Amino acid sequence: MSPRMVLVVVLLGFGVTVEVLCALGVLLMRNSFDRLHYLGPATLLGPLAVAAAVLVDASDTQARIKAVLIALILLATGPILTHATARAARVRQFGRLHTEEQEAKVAK
Amino acid sequence: MNPWLAGTGVLLAALIPCGIVAVRAKAMDRLVAVELAGTITTLILVALAQALGRPAVFDLALALALLSVPAALVFAHFLERWL
Repeated sequence: MSPRMVLVVVLLGFGVTVEVLCALGVLLMRNSFDRLHYLGPATLLGPLAVAAAVLVDASDTQARIKAVLIALILLATGPILTHATARAARVRQFGRLHTEEQEAKVAK
Repeated sequence: MNPWLAGTGVLLAALIPCGIVAVRAKAMDRLVAVELAGTITTLILVALAQALGRPAVFDLALALALLSVPAALVFAHFLERWL
């Protein structure tokens, strides 16, 4: 196996492992706020590692550009989705978005 | 075996926990699972495109990555207000 192929396997393996661990995290956590934490690495580390593996492996420039574009889209939209989902979960659970004075004191 | 095909298989297996949560948990937890499943499916399409040597499949992954965002935002908006 060539060094280039080893690098591809390492990068792809890392990306896939991150996604599997995040999926297991979403399965095992108890509420939606805990589960939301696992969207972070799944939209950051996984896509970047897979795109890097494509960059190393692909001979086609078009494929490389598209893989990087996909990773960047997932990278940019992940935090937006997490924020929107957390906001919706909080409004559903507490009936409001902002913390009240009593709640802020308890949090401190 | 092609590492890209093996990666595709493992990523497909990673969809199973998302499916379990999407079927059994509460509404907001289901949304989280669907968002993660969208990301994993995008990566499956990328790995599949590389495994099959068909760059055209990258377009599917690109379209899914772009379309899954507004879909999840609409779900979050409706779950926040009306559902």
